[in-house]
Amino acid sequence: MNLDQITIAPVFPLWLILLLFSLGFASTIVQFRLLRRRLGHSRALGLSFLRLGAISFLITFALNPSLVTKKEHKVLPAIAILLDTSQSMGQPGRPGKASRLEEAKALLTEGANPLLKSLSEGYEVRLYGVGESLRAIEGKELANLKAEGMKGNLSEILKELSGKNTLALLLSDGNLEWNDSQSKNLPIVTVPLGSSGEYKDILIKAVKAPPLAFRGREVMIDVTIKSYGYTGLTLPVLLKEGNKLLTAKNTRINASPSEVTASLSFIPDEVGQKNLSISIPQQFGESLVSNNSVNLSMKVVRDKIRILMVSGNPSMNYRFMRTALKNDPSIDLLSFVILRTPSDILNVPTHEQSLIPFPVETLFFKEIKNFDLLIFDNFKYPLYLSPHHLESIREFVRGGGGFAMIGGPNLVNEGRYAMTPIGEILPVRFAEKENYRRDSKVGVRLSRAGVVHPITRLSLDTVGDTVGDTAGDDTHRLSFWREMPSLDGFNLLEAKSSATVLLESADGIPWPILIVSNYGNGRVLALATDYSWKWYMGMVAKGKGNHAYLRLMDRMVRWLTKDPGLDPVQITLPERTGSAGQEIEIRIKLREEDLSPNLRSMVSFSVLNPDGIKIESGLKPTGQSGEYLGSFLPQKGGIYKLKVETSADHLEESMVVAGLLESLDASPDHEQLKKVSASTGGKFLSRTEDLLKEIEGYARKGEGRFIEEKRSSVWARPFVMVLVLGFLIVEWFFRRRWGMV
Amino acid sequence: MKTSSFKSYNRRKFLSLGLGLAAGFFFSGPKSLLSASFPNFFFAQLKYRGGEWDPNPQFAEAIIEELELRTSIDGMKERRVTTLSDPDLFFCPFLYMAGKYEFDPFTPQERETLTRFLSYGGFLFAEDTMGAKGFGFDQAFRREMKQLFPDHELRRLASDHSVYQSFYIIGSVGGCQRVNPYLEGITIDNWTPVLYSQNDLSGAWARDRFGKWINECVPGGEVQRSGAFKLGINIIVYSLTSDYKKDVIHHPFIKRRQSL
Repeated sequence: MNLDQITIAPVFPLWLILLLFSLGFASTIVQFRLLRRRLGHSRALGLSFLRLGAISFLITFALNPSLVTKKEHKVLPAIAILLDTSQSMGQPGRPGKASRLEEAKALLTEGANPLLKSLSEGYEVRLYGVGESLRAIEGKELANLKAEGMKGNLSEILKELSGKNTLALLLSDGNLEWNDSQSKNLPIVTVPLGSSGEYKDILIKAVKAPPLAFRGREVMIDVTIKSYGYTGLTLPVLLKEGNKLLTAKNTRINASPSEVTASLSFIPDEVGQKNLSISIPQQFGESLVSNNSVNLSMKVVRDKIRILMVSGNPSMNYRFMRTALKNDPSIDLLSFVILRTPSDILNVPTHEQSLIPFPVETLFFKEIKNFDLLIFDNFKYPLYLSPHHLESIREFVRGGGGFAMIGGPNLVNEGRYAMTPIGEILPVRFAEKENYRRDSKVGVRLSRAGVVHPITRLSLDTVGDTVGDTAGDDTHRLSFWREMPSLDGFNLLEAKSSATVLLESADGIPWPILIVSNYGNGRVLALATDYSWKWYMGMVAKGKGNHAYLRLMDRMVRWLTKDPGLDPVQITLPERTGSAGQEIEIRIKLREEDLSPNLRSMVSFSVLNPDGIKIESGLKPTGQSGEYLGSFLPQKGGIYKLKVETSADHLEESMVVAGLLESLDASPDHEQLKKVSASTGGKFLSRTEDLLKEIEGYARKGEGRFIEEKRSSVWARPFVMVLVLGFLIVEWFFRRRWGMV
Repeated sequence: MKTSSFKSYNRRKFLSLGLGLAAGFFFSGPKSLLSASFPNFFFAQLKYRGGEWDPNPQFAEAIIEELELRTSIDGMKERRVTTLSDPDLFFCPFLYMAGKYEFDPFTPQERETLTRFLSYGGFLFAEDTMGAKGFGFDQAFRREMKQLFPDHELRRLASDHSVYQSFYIIGSVGGCQRVNPYLEGITIDNWTPVLYSQNDLSGAWARDRFGKWINECVPGGEVQRSGAFKLGINIIVYSLTSDYKKDVIHHPFIKRRQSL
């Protein structure tokens, strides 16, 4: 026992202990003087010494002395073996090994001195799989380990392991995320897998494409191509929609590895969701083919709604429709008004006329596809159009275009439309005898279908002030239409069975006034009057402005052109769709004015995977009125179909989810491993070095020692009490012997 | 002069009818039948207090005849007389106002109605048949327009205004008299709801029951009358088509013809 191993922890302040000791010493001196008179100097000195000893020991209790014993121990170093299990490890390893993961397994478990076994004998070895996250694995799991999942973030993993291990041994091909953090807490010794020199691959590394494109405008898509081992090769980069080739571009590879960017451009000619693919044909000897193509989704919208309007003559109907259409900046209107017919005389030379030829050939054969909507306004065609033009119009509508026929006296005698392609697409038939009635002052009313149809279901801010606030939404709308000025003329039409009547005459026989139907992929409308402009001026006369007429025309145009803005259900896809295995959320919005509260509660969301199989999906309200959040977890890449249904309507969208191997750069990145080793104070080991020897060398540097310290109170030891009692007993003995007791 | 104009009129009328009938036979059958039954244009003449609201009572028939003869527009030869308190005022496509002398100011209610009518799509063609600048009708009309549109002045229309190109390409303005070689107007955005002339166009159009011109056109004679008809037709076409001739597709044609 050494003195430096005794420590004190006073229970009282030191000054109090010194005071007590001084008092004890003083009382001993007093006792010595009293005893010296009776027993003599030497005996008194002996008894006083014994008393002082006992007092000293007792006062020393207050110092609380402890005995500290220390013992030094050696610690077995802990080594964390990090085995990269991300998807790139499934690529071919060194010759003879099916994959880099197999190469790693062989390194750990095969050979005369398997590395895992050898290390386990001298060290505490912990085995981890490094994928998207860190996972502890048992030795027996090693054989069944598979390469899958995204690459992990080594910097984050290092934080988990630091402090628990002496050394980390990383077996990887280098496809790991590493933020180059300079941390020496845990040295990482890296063992490279795979052979970068032998790796051959071409991959589409990145695609820069706008999520939204405008029909008729050029779209640029930048494709970054990375290649390993194909120097001097010229590659075709293909842009397809389904199996249809949109464009292609050749790109030359000048080095290995190298990155080149190819710009592909195309002009979308149809609106809607486009599911495109960019691909490069498989090359001989490529390690990975799945990264040669990328799917992308692009929404094509129209920059403007293009309308071709032909009016049979200048009229108020034309002017007010023109005002409404020109008032909307999203509409591009091209109109022709028949200012004179061949029967009208023109008594001035050419340079005094402002009339232009009616370019029917160009319009109805070449340019018709560039329009979204064709309007014939009180137009009698036979003087200008041939049956071939009408056939072209029918094909235009069948292919998805919109067609509106506005009535008027020029449609008398059927405007000769009966038995023509126009007669076929129109939602109406002409009544047999009388075709146009004038000066009868007929009012209009909403039909049952008109109450809920998007065209006539005007928003409450448009119609709301016509009746009291307590009335229901539909009552507002019915009253609004009843208040509209009567029409001075209308065509006597008969709706086809496939058509929907939205407005009808309110007096006498309910003649259809506004009729709609579908034809092929297009939509058709007939407005059986040339006096709809009275709905404009009638409301102005009442001091209610022109808003209702403008909204009606706007909704007619948008319904005819299938404008998504009129859909009662809106789906907003995320800007970045992510890839398989990541949850995807989409926003669903129901239009307030189109859905009653009952309909809002009947919303369903379903998702079909690329194989057409319905997968699990969720739907919950966001808290905002009419807004929902739909979610699903795609298990693989491809085109997913999303369907939102309400009792009134349904909407389908498709979206592309990237596959796991899409854009995968699986080339061994041994430079990355060198960086990791250098940053952490470890070492990058080449395969020619003796791995066990190198690892042991690093492990020894980190060999740990610790000192075990034990503390025991001196007063807890019996001999101390015996010693105190000894002083008192000896004193008592001599006092008795010398007659003091 | 009058005999000459009468002969001229008859000759033109004869030729027009002849061509029209021939063209109608070959190209279009039912127009003449429809024109009477389903007119889509008529004059609504504004009757106001004070002054003389109807200086040319017989102006409508001839211009409507010419309108039907030369254009695809079907018109009604009988004008309709209206006031600013007429509930059907807003359904009149073309409001016509004429006069010689100063008239009584409009009431606030009349001003509000006319402002609303013109601001939301209505159209007014007004003319000072006296042609006295700063006096009589001219003074009163300008006063009222200033009250109606304090932020928009009655200005001379540019030579490329749609009203000069809506049917004919017009270089010189006709009329019974030649006070101004231009039209004036109040333009709001791209639409001119008020047109104003001091050249007495209606005086040049007016014809008696025997088909004789009522007024002589000075100093240009029948050429000036012909110009008045052309401008009248252009004004009517403008009122029904707005700035249609400003559409891009018309530009190259009109420019080419103007350069001829």
